[in-house]
Amino acid sequence: MIVSRVLDYGFCAWFVGAVNMVEEGEYFEGCDLEGPLRCIFLCEFHPTAGPKITCQVPDNYISKEVFDAVSVYIIPKAQLQRSILTVTLLGSKILGFPIRIDNKKYARNAFYFNLCFVCDAWARSVQYEPVVKKLSDHLITMELEKRFLSNPQNENVPLSAMLKQVMEDLNTYRMCTLTEGTTTMHLKVVKISKEPSPVHDHQVPIFIEEQHKFRSEQWDLTTYQVLPYIDGFNHIAKIAAEADVENNLVKACVQNLMYYGVVSLLPIFQYSNVYAATPKLRLLAENKDLQQRCIKYVSKSVRQPPALRDIFRMYSSMTYGTTVRDLCVRLNPHPLRINERKLVQFGLLKGLIRRIYKYPVDLSEDNEVNAKDSLHRSFTGLQSVDEICCAHGLSNQQFEDQVEREPNVVLIWK
Amino acid sequence: MEPNPLSIILVKSDSKGDRLLFRYPYAADARNEAGHQSRRRNPYALTITEDLLQTPPPQTSNICKGHLTGFSDEVLSTLFAVKPELCERKFELKVNDVRFVGHPTLLSDSIILTNIVFALHATASHSIVKCYYDLSKRLGVALRHEERRCGYLSQETKTMVMAHDEVSARPEGEKADDADTPFDLILQRSTLARNLKSVYDDLISTGLVHVRVNRWIEVSFCLPQKVHQFYKKDFIIEPESIHRCLQSLRPYHGLLLLVESNELLDHMHPDASPALVRLIRMYSPLKSLQTLAADADLTLSQMFQLAGHLLYWAKATVIYPLCESNVYVIAPDAPTHVNSPLTERFSEHFPGMNLLQVMSDFSLPTSISQKMNPLNHPQHQKQLVQMIVWMLQHRLLLQLHTYVYFMPTASGPSLPQDGLGRQHSHSLHHSSTRDGSYQSTPDEQLSISVGGLMGGRAPSESDLSSNISDDVLVTPGNKLNGLPIQTSGSLVSTDNEVSFVNVLEEEKSSLVREELLADFSDEERTAILKIPAAANPEDLLLLAQLCRMGYLRGCHHLEEIMYLENIRRSQLLQLLDKFRDVLVTCETEDPAIALFYSHSYT
Repeated sequence: MIVSRVLDYGFCAWFVGAVNMVEEGEYFEGCDLEGPLRCIFLCEFHPTAGPKITCQVPDNYISKEVFDAVSVYIIPKAQLQRSILTVTLLGSKILGFPIRIDNKKYARNAFYFNLCFVCDAWARSVQYEPVVKKLSDHLITMELEKRFLSNPQNENVPLSAMLKQVMEDLNTYRMCTLTEGTTTMHLKVVKISKEPSPVHDHQVPIFIEEQHKFRSEQWDLTTYQVLPYIDGFNHIAKIAAEADVENNLVKACVQNLMYYGVVSLLPIFQYSNVYAATPKLRLLAENKDLQQRCIKYVSKSVRQPPALRDIFRMYSSMTYGTTVRDLCVRLNPHPLRINERKLVQFGLLKGLIRRIYKYPVDLSEDNEVNAKDSLHRSFTGLQSVDEICCAHGLSNQQFEDQVEREPNVVLIWK
Repeated sequence: MEPNPLSIILVKSDSKGDRLLFRYPYAADARNEAGHQSRRRNPYALTITEDLLQTPPPQTSNICKGHLTGFSDEVLSTLFAVKPELCERKFELKVNDVRFVGHPTLLSDSIILTNIVFALHATASHSIVKCYYDLSKRLGVALRHEERRCGYLSQETKTMVMAHDEVSARPEGEKADDADTPFDLILQRSTLARNLKSVYDDLISTGLVHVRVNRWIEVSFCLPQKVHQFYKKDFIIEPESIHRCLQSLRPYHGLLLLVESNELLDHMHPDASPALVRLIRMYSPLKSLQTLAADADLTLSQMFQLAGHLLYWAKATVIYPLCESNVYVIAPDAPTHVNSPLTERFSEHFPGMNLLQVMSDFSLPTSISQKMNPLNHPQHQKQLVQMIVWMLQHRLLLQLHTYVYFMPTASGPSLPQDGLGRQHSHSLHHSSTRDGSYQSTPDEQLSISVGGLMGGRAPSESDLSSNISDDVLVTPGNKLNGLPIQTSGSLVSTDNEVSFVNVLEEEKSSLVREELLADFSDEERTAILKIPAAANPEDLLLLAQLCRMGYLRGCHHLEEIMYLENIRRSQLLQLLDKFRDVLVTCETEDPAIALFYSHSYT
């Protein structure tokens, strides 16, 4: 039923594509998919008739009965003015931003209106919230300037055309430009992404897309300065030093790049690192496409690609207690034409392997806290060796020599 | 934080209009408004009298320190006293960053409407919202029943309305210094209000709700996203992933109770299923679900249902039954902080032991048998097992399983045969077992042609008997999957000369090999035959068999293969060793039960 309704609106181009990919059965509440706008309507509080829809595209999508049932959430009490209200009822999701304009010229000394977007009940609607807000503010201005909404002579013809354009453009291009006299108004549906996790000194940013695709002028100057040093091997502290940019600025840049899905964070590569295969490794055995990409990524030279079995053997040999150094000694990747650093990179990016971190924990009683130096104070079990080494400027070997002399410090690998 | 409710609100609507009867917690709002006013009194703040765009400062958040704020009782009551056409269905309203969910319930005479609404964080996942909706519905149904039975709700409504009126009727002066709200009075007088308070408190503290509405109707509810959290603050298990786990549960899996079985039995309701009681009496972490079912005299499907129940309510977790060969490592999300509360609890449980010290022993994959030392005191052994159980209960340990991939050629794994090929081999097997007749299935034709080779002797009784004996051998257990081997002509040899039998044997064995390898491509065949062990038909048979069943594609761990094929671990390990050139092994966790660890990949 839903699909047929989608096809009625031939202009829902981006969405129809999505329909082809997923089965109809996947549209249930909570499926976390975005859906098209089904309808846009404007309603106002009429001085005598009460709440009513003044303009709707397409016509009669929201019937009189439905509207009466939900009007209390669309023209709400004063306390809820200028709040984003979303009500999910009777198979639709109605998103609105109620507005009140106080002025003596109106019948009740105030004009109430609400511009509402309607989606299916299963669809996400958060991404439309800023658009509704912006469009409502635009309407306020137009109303203040030329009684765009409240003038009965207007017959709402321009408004109807405008809403129609907004709906069609947002559904097709996910953005819309409205021109009204001399003012231009841009609306865009922005993808809501999660807040990126904090970036630490010892982590390594790596591009997950082709680099040339975004080497455009879109980034700020600091990011420009940082970008050339992101090569998948330099960690944050090193990038900061080499790019001559303050450490925290680099972190902010990288976090921003993460937000846009351009880079991802990896643990620093060392031959003393331990990795372990994950259940996802099975994908490499099953997925031909992934196999091709993997071979291409990890090969030492383009002309002589390595054998998949050798790659697979490298990955599957990764387990607790086996360092990359051990692996290299045992399997000798160079004659196999495998670049082990790229191998680890690819495995981490695709989740085929995960890093096993080492945490030093000081088990001695806490009575001599003051006597401890800063290195020992970091043995709380919260900081991994990577972090500690990076903070104290130690190499892994130096660190191990230090810890070996301490009977009270245990190492936990996880 | 997300699974926690912000507030619970009770609204009624009847002939006298709508009214918010009770909300909990209620103190937060007053406090916040006071704070708001004091902020205004900041002497350095600019007061802008003229607002150009007529817009009061937009309110973008209605959450303050985990409590609902910015809604007066009147606003809430108009929002939640819904129109009749919206009753008895899901009510969901999002205002800024708060999501309200409830199930408006009509009472007996369809005039009185009651709505128990939960205020949640708007970011709470859909499954959380669904669970709260369910809880609201359950409470509503209980209230309706009690209203019908003895007019419980009308009585409670009266009590609450009276308390509201009493407070608002107080003289002005008294109200100012008397800080208590009507809700304090209501809490003292109304059992329903106390029930709602305890629902809220339970949801905040454990996620398990047990209340008796009017001391009569039992309402119990479990918020899985909260119950499974344990000590991991922002780790959420969705009910969907629990269902997925149940789907992939196999009879060889085992249960691990997260609470003492005696405690569980004590807290069980008097009308709990006797099957569950029996199960818990027979419970042991050493038993697989299959054994448990047999011991508790349950069918396997009953067993799975009970396991699902225990799992959902976070009373148990799924493990592979404890045995000496199990290999454990530290779970990636195990807390290693020196001062983590777990270390304290561990020391209480096992005096003199340090959790982190014990954990560090599992930094390398360690099996129980490795830790067992025959010279140790039995008491120590016992304690060791108990410690492992404790760490598994707290999800500090992870079990590693060995998975095997068949990779005969350098180009990687042999891709699974397409469905057609597999089906063909199956149907073949099927027809030959069904009736050992001379139907022209390839098997039979082959053996007939063998017969033809034997000194020009026409296919006769002996061949027939050998064919039949094939089928007889194949049918029991079906484990050999239609490979007519091991016939060794025992029936045939009775009426033939010895030399002839030898010839036949040789012919047979090469034939057997050919048949075994029929599934493989030429390249794969040469790779397999290069291995010395391939000369041994038994080894080859086992390998071909495992390949054909699809066990060597990394989807089945050794224990599963052992269970499915009924073979011993040593046998399997030997095979892995003999054919190590074409097999790749890999140690990872069992994805079926990995959902309990926050690093799990789906």
